Amino acid sequence: MAILPVVETKKKTLGIYVHIPFCRSKCEYCDFYSIGGARNKDLMERYLDATVAHIRETAPAAPGYEVDTVYFGGGTPSFFGARGLSRLFAEIDRRFNVSRDAEVTFEANPDSVTLPMLMSLRRAGFNRISIGVQSDLDEQLKALGRPHNYKQAQQAVSLARRAGFDNVSVDLMFGLPNQSREQWMQTLRHVIDLKADHISCYGLKVEPGTKLYEYQNCANLPDDDAQADMYFYAVETLESFGYKQYEISNFAKDGYICRHNMKYWVGDEYLGFGPCAASDFAGKRFTIEADLEKYITGVMNKGVILSECETVPLRERAGEYLMLRLRTVDGVEEGEYTRSFLLPFKPIEKVLLDLQKQDLTVLSNGRWRLTPKGFMVSNSILVRLLDEQQRSKPLAQKR
Amino acid sequence: MTDLSKIRNFSIVAHIDHGKSTLADRLLEECKTVDKREMADQILDSMDLERERGITIKARAVRLDYHADDGEDYVLNLIDTPGHVDFNYEVSRSLSACEGAVLVVDASQGIEAQTLANTYLAIDNNLEVLPVINKIDLPAARPEEVKHEIEDVIGIPALDAPEISAKNGINIHAVLEMIVQGVPAPRGSREAPLQCLIFDSQYDSYRGAIVYLRVMQGVVRPGMDIRMMATGAVYKVVEVGYLHPFGMRPAEALGAGEVGYLTASIKTVSDTRVGDTITSVENPAPEALPGYKQAQPMVFSGVYPADGSKYGDLRDALEKLKLNDASMSYTQENSIALGFGFRCGFLGLLHMEIILERLEREYNLDLITTAPNVVYKITKTDGSVVDVYTPLNYPDPAEIEHAEEPYAKVNLIAPPEYVGAIMDLCTNRRGEFKDMQYLDPTRVELHYSMPLNEIIYDFFDALKSRTRGYGSLDYELEGYRPSKLVKLDILLNGEIVDALSFILFADNAYTRARKICEKLKENIPRQMFEIPVQAAIGGKIIARETIKALRKDVLAKCYGGDITRKKKLLEKQKEGKKRMRTFGTVSVPSEAFMAVLKLDEE
Repeated sequence: MAILPVVETKKKTLGIYVHIPFCRSKCEYCDFYSIGGARNKDLMERYLDATVAHIRETAPAAPGYEVDTVYFGGGTPSFFGARGLSRLFAEIDRRFNVSRDAEVTFEANPDSVTLPMLMSLRRAGFNRISIGVQSDLDEQLKALGRPHNYKQAQQAVSLARRAGFDNVSVDLMFGLPNQSREQWMQTLRHVIDLKADHISCYGLKVEPGTKLYEYQNCANLPDDDAQADMYFYAVETLESFGYKQYEISNFAKDGYICRHNMKYWVGDEYLGFGPCAASDFAGKRFTIEADLEKYITGVMNKGVILSECETVPLRERAGEYLMLRLRTVDGVEEGEYTRSFLLPFKPIEKVLLDLQKQDLTVLSNGRWRLTPKGFMVSNSILVRLLDEQQRSKPLAQKR
Repeated sequence: MTDLSKIRNFSIVAHIDHGKSTLADRLLEECKTVDKREMADQILDSMDLERERGITIKARAVRLDYHADDGEDYVLNLIDTPGHVDFNYEVSRSLSACEGAVLVVDASQGIEAQTLANTYLAIDNNLEVLPVINKIDLPAARPEEVKHEIEDVIGIPALDAPEISAKNGINIHAVLEMIVQGVPAPRGSREAPLQCLIFDSQYDSYRGAIVYLRVMQGVVRPGMDIRMMATGAVYKVVEVGYLHPFGMRPAEALGAGEVGYLTASIKTVSDTRVGDTITSVENPAPEALPGYKQAQPMVFSGVYPADGSKYGDLRDALEKLKLNDASMSYTQENSIALGFGFRCGFLGLLHMEIILERLEREYNLDLITTAPNVVYKITKTDGSVVDVYTPLNYPDPAEIEHAEEPYAKVNLIAPPEYVGAIMDLCTNRRGEFKDMQYLDPTRVELHYSMPLNEIIYDFFDALKSRTRGYGSLDYELEGYRPSKLVKLDILLNGEIVDALSFILFADNAYTRARKICEKLKENIPRQMFEIPVQAAIGGKIIARETIKALRKDVLAKCYGGDITRKKKLLEKQKEGKKRMRTFGTVSVPSEAFMAVLKLDEE
């Protein structure tokens, strides 16, 4: 069940996510599940077989669904290679009802793309590429442990164009070790010159378990104020170059919003394959354990592969609605909220109104959303909203 | 009843960390009182808090049966003592229940401040002091030198002191032999009228107060009618017995010289005051044992539940703690900012910390405490005199004729090289120098008269750090003196937070106000708007800081797999916020209240 049973005439749509847990090397800040190091052909082959089998087995559970987005993330899908990606997508295409105009994305690192490979992926049905550029300064890339330089990133974008990708996204990061505000301004200008269709800008977050976590105190990371400044500068600059903000960290030219990622934020259904992939399907949220060997043996021997699975109660869906919708510029709306969750919107609105005075929220066309300033402190805002929500009593059910 | 000549009552005294509790453990083991497998470290420190802090809070006693080398069986009663200036009175009572003290000295560190302070306390109580050199397994051990040090500085024979390692169980036997031979057997007549010294008590929900006592004269047995000589309370003895490490063993009677316990359906430990004398109703002793004082709370602080709805839980917890700790007091108090709570009285700052920590741990409460204060006497313009226990009741300045604050007589002992530092510290704390004398070439004693208020904050810590731990401190209340006092108010976002108000010496107000504002700024997290932090006297603002608005609190990425994680994260953040107190729109964590209490001078 989707969060919003609003448009019921439409066919049921589904997003598919495939996690590719392989990388050339582990980046300093990365806490995604991935195995770094030289290509292990045998392991990759076994992963491929298992995932293909997993897709084949799962598909019958989703009859009547139309798959309109497919996303290969990681890890580094481009490092996994064109043959494997094509094989996985072919299996999805064969077992699921994939729509003609589906958005099919894969993530790529600049050091693992070549023209023939991109062309073959394009032919296999991939139509969107997301390139991990992260920075335009080689010393910053090196400090992050990225296995490429900026020149390779520039080349990757142009190769993607030559291979026929007309939906190219680049990822950027700010708040990097030693990064100054001026450097970030420069980075943005350079990256805008790449003329991508979509840009993601992520503030670096130091996660436990990463290498950076160990030495964060001597990494000279920009403080919160500096990060906030960098963020607001990015929002403003990207906007002026036609990249409209549609989520906290995502910006797109008209018509290039990432449809797959939007599913996460509007509460649509998706299925995940591969270790650590998450799903929200048929009212349940479940996650595959982040362990490649367990995944392979689990799938092959019909064993347990999930690390968690929960049926999300309506009350919690209401919280998710606020938490996820408010990440986007569409924000939330009273009718949607009360109809879907039978909860009063008044207490929520009271907080939103209060925050409006501080320029943290804005009401336009009947929908409430956060301003960029609000986005930047969204956790604090959500805590207040969820608190109000928890205390509110359900509306009387209408007969 | 054991024959007097076969009883040895002793305690162990030492500087902190010289191995007192470890030696106690070994003695228990050596006497086979405790099986190795039942051994937890530091058996006598049975409160978690005691083990963690490495300090003894409550006095304990334990009975050891020892078969000595002379072929005789002896009963050794070890009475453990607390070791902090707040509990000096309890220590002296415990010591007066003994005839001897084993003085543990670290073989590498030698004599230190508490070695002296505790030894003198033991000597004052007429105890035979028997030195033991501990930690001889350490590479830096210098037992011979340390023995000479003991002879020179303390003036007791030490050349034959056993050299031991309590940690490794080396030479423990020698300590036991020394106790048997060196500690005098107790004196006293079992025919004389009953006199028992209470050195501790503990509350048991089934049996009422359990009194830990030393029989000085006479015999006490079940069925006897007894009277507490200080409080006058009368009870019928239900049970008497000995204290074994893992419980109490009832006995037919306790006679002069013996150490044990007594129960008498006593409803509250406040009837069983440490230092009081128990006598029999039928054949009363002509007078009580000397040295009894009633424990007087000197430091008061507001204690509030962090979650206002837990008021009832806090009240129940205080009631229970009070059963076990007669030296604490509490009365109900309301604060506009914090709601319902209690004004609690403590012996000193450590006592306060311990009670608060026990409330939080043993009763699972989150607490907010206000700055501690002493009791001020205010004479109003209408001639009436009020005792002010809390800033909340501080009269309007216009109604004050004059104010008085309590002063304490302070004794400080330290090596001569620290005299300058100590004088400096005392002057900063408005101390009035009285005199100074050399006890011997290595120790100087200084006498000061000082406002009690200056001592209760962090004076002990400051003294320790300035004298590298060598300084020791003792103080007693001297009386009230006129003083210039003001009430300082703290405003958050323009509103007075009454729980942060406190009374202080007028000349210190500016410095203190600035420091408090700084501390609050450090400890209150940035929020979605700018928060001015101000300090004011009357209506006049004398210090200000600003907590800048929060600018970044966001999860940049949130895709499929992150959603559950992010939900948990927000849940945690929400819980964190719940534990904060909200004043107007400002959320203040309880740590901020604590931080204000610890204003370091440096």
